[in-house]
Amino acid sequence: MSAKAVALAIVILAGSLAAQSKSSQGKYVPPRTPDGQPDLEGVWTNVTITPLERPANLAGKEFFTPAEARQYEKDTVERNNADRRDGGAQADLSRAYNDAWYDRGTKVVETLRTSLVIDPPDGKIPRKGDRRAGPPPGFGRPPEGPEDRSLPERCILWPTAGPPMMPSFYNNNYQIVQGPGYVVILVEMIHDARVIPIDTQNAPRPHVDSKIREWLGDSRGHWEGNTLVVETTNFNDKTRFQSGGPNMRLVERFTRTAPETITYEFTVDDPSAFSRPWTAQIPMKRTEGPIIEYACNEGNYAMEGMLAGARADEKKAAGR
Amino acid sequence: MRNKLVLALGAASLLIAAAPVWAHHAFAAEFDAQKPVKLKGTVVKVEFINPHSWIHMDVKDADGKVTRWMVEGGSPNALFRRGVNKDALPQGTEISVDGYQAKDGSNRANGRDITFADGKKLFVGGSNPDEQPNAK
Repeated sequence: MSAKAVALAIVILAGSLAAQSKSSQGKYVPPRTPDGQPDLEGVWTNVTITPLERPANLAGKEFFTPAEARQYEKDTVERNNADRRDGGAQADLSRAYNDAWYDRGTKVVETLRTSLVIDPPDGKIPRKGDRRAGPPPGFGRPPEGPEDRSLPERCILWPTAGPPMMPSFYNNNYQIVQGPGYVVILVEMIHDARVIPIDTQNAPRPHVDSKIREWLGDSRGHWEGNTLVVETTNFNDKTRFQSGGPNMRLVERFTRTAPETITYEFTVDDPSAFSRPWTAQIPMKRTEGPIIEYACNEGNYAMEGMLAGARADEKKAAGR
Repeated sequence: MRNKLVLALGAASLLIAAAPVWAHHAFAAEFDAQKPVKLKGTVVKVEFINPHSWIHMDVKDADGKVTRWMVEGGSPNALFRRGVNKDALPQGTEISVDGYQAKDGSNRANGRDITFADGKKLFVGGSNPDEQPNAK
């Protein structure tokens, strides 16, 4: 087969897969809660090893073939394996502890997409001026106190815990609870509960005043058919999702597309950081409960250890 | 000044490139890659707590002097889902720990490898591509 024919075959396959995913979203009718809402309740996981952005070596390739997906999974699992002891002391130390503590997943998403970002079609976040996600606050100088360490290290915010919610290396579990007028999402990582008021025609619930700024932003939901649409604004200037700013507008869409699957999509719009809005799609699969509490501050002995480490470094540098 | 900035940005991008292997916090900030340790002793207590678990152990040196060490592991949540609980590591269990000592010289280390007396590794990992234990 010529290169052209291969390319054509890939395009056709990609097209049919995309069409398949669209039609499956259309066909399935989700069950209803007793008060008539499409039922999203339960415990779900978004664990996957599909990267957020398409890696450079997969440029131009929107979908894996099944064989390529298996190879990618094998390579990624080998690379991630924290039980490896190669690469020297620094690499060894950065792997922290045995692999059993991690829960990164071993599979790519079912659509076989090569990135979670589905729009733009190149799978890349359209950062303005090729801006990369900046370093966490505090990096680049010795920390004088907890406020100089990053937000996750301070147990305040996890960059993937949301909103929007993305997979990380463990605790990728979410419980959705629906009540009259509210949807609550309990996030295992960092243990946030997102309480989302639901707008209805008879009871509009506008966002809070723009002067009020929140770590998780201000979320408001409404139903569009079987899809829960949640709009979040009013972020503070420290959340900085993917280097975005406080005026980021986030729209999340939750659609139950199969008995065991919620198709979760989010669109980020922030002209201060991105040249256009961008969208990612992540399947959430039903999983065993319960959500386990992540009482982070209580057990954060490492904060003391890191600050003690910084003081030890200073002493060493001063020759004492 | 500019060089310093470039250096800092370079270091930051290295950190970001290394992000997939991050734990809850940067272990390099707490422990010293120049101070590898091998500890052999008995379990005193285990704290299965978030963000990271800690194993307390007594280590006896050649002269019979006992020193208490604290060994850092990961978030216990993934372990609980694999069926591991506090009974997995009762008080008095003999273990060996390979890790790196705290930068400030205190008796703390990360637990890179934790091994039982019979050579079996504790908490050996779930990285099997054919199973995804968490998804139903």
